[in-house]
Amino acid sequence: MNVLLMGHPNVGKSVFFNRLTGANVTESNYPGTTVDFTKGWMKIDGEDAELVDVPGTFSLDPKDKAEEVAVAMLHENKDAKVICVIDASKIERGVYLALEILEEGYPMVIALNMWDAAVDKNILVDVNNLQRILGVPVVPTVAISGEGIRELTSKLKEAKPVEINDIIKNAGCLT
Amino acid sequence: MEKKLSEMKYEEEGIVTDIEETLRKKVAGMGIRVGKRLKMITKQPVKGPVVVAVDEAITSLGLDVAEKIIVEMKS
Repeated sequence: MNVLLMGHPNVGKSVFFNRLTGANVTESNYPGTTVDFTKGWMKIDGEDAELVDVPGTFSLDPKDKAEEVAVAMLHENKDAKVICVIDASKIERGVYLALEILEEGYPMVIALNMWDAAVDKNILVDVNNLQRILGVPVVPTVAISGEGIRELTSKLKEAKPVEINDIIKNAGCLT
Repeated sequence: MEKKLSEMKYEEEGIVTDIEETLRKKVAGMGIRVGKRLKMITKQPVKGPVVVAVDEAITSLGLDVAEKIIVEMKS
């Protein structure tokens, strides 16, 4: 299995990568730390899976070199599963990227990372509702302390492609 | 009153009413779309970028981009 870690710059993708593979790539609190990709191996239910730490990107419409790498990585790995890492306090733009990736038919799990920081800002995300609308597993995580990581990996095998029209239909129920 | 995003002053807030067609997709990834509330955080000198808050996210935009976003000011 091939797994891509994708998300905006500075949401914690590299921290996830180090947690999941035991590697030690550079992490920092600045966007744009990862400009090239790193590969590593992890176990999912005893099975080897290749994990790729993709540079952060705001959309699939690349605006710089690092974003070009990110989009190319995605398109070169058509059979990959995607872990989409979203900053829990910046849901809207995170979901925008997630939708773009889902639209291309990739199976996905979503990590709502920095959940603790969002709680500190009084931001609470309705995880069950988001999961229902998007039709993919959504897991609150705190990558630096390891919270939610085990649940996230266990949900990887449930990840399956979803139809954008289904998402639109599900979202419509809210209004 | 409406003005360009690039003309907003520090701390001013407003709601996006129009974005130039060609830019819509580009800024959507940063959470900026018609109907969104923005707050001006910083304007860098010498035609530098503007920094705005969209919900909880802080985003910087080139001046050329900011000139093409129209905002209805909060009175």
